[in-house]
Amino acid sequence: MVVKSLAKPRNLRAIAVIALLALLIVGATALYIYSRTYANANRLGVTMHPTAFESIMARIRPAMMSMIAASVVLAVVSLSFQTIVRSRVLTPSMIGFDSIFVGTQTVLVFVFGAYSVWFQNPYVNYFVTAGVMITISMFMYSFILRSSKNNVIFLLMFGLILSGIIGSGTRYLQVIMNQSEFFHVQAATMVNVNNINTNIANIAFPIMAVVVVLIVLRHRRLDVMSLGPDQAKSLGIAYERELRLHLILIAVGMSVATALIGSLTFLGLLAVNAAREVMKTHKHLPLFIGSSLMAALTLIAGQAVMELLQGAVPVTVIINLVGCSYIFYLVLKENKT
Amino acid sequence: MIEVKNISQTYDSRSERDTITDVSLTVRENTITALIGANGAGKSTLLSVMTNLIPAKKGNVTIDGVDVRKIKTSEVAKKVAFLKQTHQLSIKITVRDLVEYGRFPHCGGRLKDTDHAKVNECIDYMNLEELSEKYLDEISGGQRQRAFIAMILAQDTPYIFLDEPLNNLDIKYSVEMMKIVHKLVSELDKTVVIVLHDINFAAAYAGHIVAMKDGKIYKEGTPNEVITTEVLNPVFDHDFHITEHDGKNICLYYD
Repeated sequence: MVVKSLAKPRNLRAIAVIALLALLIVGATALYIYSRTYANANRLGVTMHPTAFESIMARIRPAMMSMIAASVVLAVVSLSFQTIVRSRVLTPSMIGFDSIFVGTQTVLVFVFGAYSVWFQNPYVNYFVTAGVMITISMFMYSFILRSSKNNVIFLLMFGLILSGIIGSGTRYLQVIMNQSEFFHVQAATMVNVNNINTNIANIAFPIMAVVVVLIVLRHRRLDVMSLGPDQAKSLGIAYERELRLHLILIAVGMSVATALIGSLTFLGLLAVNAAREVMKTHKHLPLFIGSSLMAALTLIAGQAVMELLQGAVPVTVIINLVGCSYIFYLVLKENKT
Repeated sequence: MIEVKNISQTYDSRSERDTITDVSLTVRENTITALIGANGAGKSTLLSVMTNLIPAKKGNVTIDGVDVRKIKTSEVAKKVAFLKQTHQLSIKITVRDLVEYGRFPHCGGRLKDTDHAKVNECIDYMNLEELSEKYLDEISGGQRQRAFIAMILAQDTPYIFLDEPLNNLDIKYSVEMMKIVHKLVSELDKTVVIVLHDINFAAAYAGHIVAMKDGKIYKEGTPNEVITTEVLNPVFDHDFHITEHDGKNICLYYD
């Protein structure tokens, strides 16, 4: 029976896509390693010594781990978010996670200074940032979901406005702070995987793993939830409870991942929609795997391209360029049908 | 048996949903019970409360003597199936996928051979064999409605609640749908509660009619007891003309 159901043409397609994506990731990883080792050696006209290669690899490993972990988390929470808000063009970033992240960094520098413990100590900075993100989102959830009976659209609107307010407040602080502090903020909020703090990554990974496992284990329930709240309830889903649980997991996942690697607004949206497009399935399990791989591929390849261009273009610019064009295509295509 | 006792449901003034006050009702087994009434009379709210979609603010709903609030949602889904009036799906799925979701309360999404057999049986019962691999947005409104009924059937519940299933269906499909509902009761021994806008469909197919007005039950009884000017005129705030056809009361409501 298992073999028979796996052999369905749609499943075969999903498996083929997953295999192809895995291969591409191996390729992108090779390119990334090359870009950081031999490409630099060639440019400088020196030969790559094995010990030098090994020492660079020691720094590449945590970077790779972080990129993969963050990609998986972003892809998984984005897909779960899209299912509960019933829209393919929304992402958790829209309810303010990215702006809270940048806002927190800016306030830390503005209030305590760029050389204070609050900003410079990676542990303090990480926990304050992730903590603030989780606290604000939980506060927002409890306030809105209680007063409006699980009205997710209202939550989205509120989040969008909140993210706008925090965004402009942040920009104001950035304008009036001195230039060197501003550069510190910018360096801290840009996506940068090359100097990930391994100790913090080791704390973040287990949390990310728990979030991912809890969401992915609910894939069958999510399948039913995509029929809409009423039908899902009629089929025995405790919809309100699931909704709240997912919102909490999304908040924790987004916060932990964003505070670790930086704000990657478009990555989740891009990965989930691209996975849907090529896998042509509505089942969450293959989509979770596919979009995680898609996100990892985009991030690693983007990072490799950035390295090859010697950092001339930040990786977010590459992802946003690809992401925006893809969203345009998606909106235009949906509009046609 | 499903019993509703002294249900009251109030919403704050901002809410567009209907209010119901002190409604008690015993659902008759193995019959089509039709809920009729003007817009805002509380038909859909009553249906949502009865199926535990909205928890009742006051009063209680019991299924086989047990309060629904004490039964897990997943267990309620094995007894009661509910189809809402609009089913705009945001996902692209085939008829078979949809019907397979009906097995969720029984297998939690892991379909076994017995579940697949049940799905096939329901697809056959609704004459959807040829359409089973078609996507829902590729078939007609009547066919889609049949697919949803097949899903409800796959859920294999003794009670079926339908909220205005004839919406957006033309006369041919409406009659076809009501015949199907009738068959569910006569062939499969289901108990059906249905909200209908067209009173004559209720008069022709229902075994029991509940007329609602302003959130209360105005009158319940057999079609010939309810389809009378004394009941319908106040319920719909309109002048009705009742005629008889094949021993059944039929109403005309054109001025």
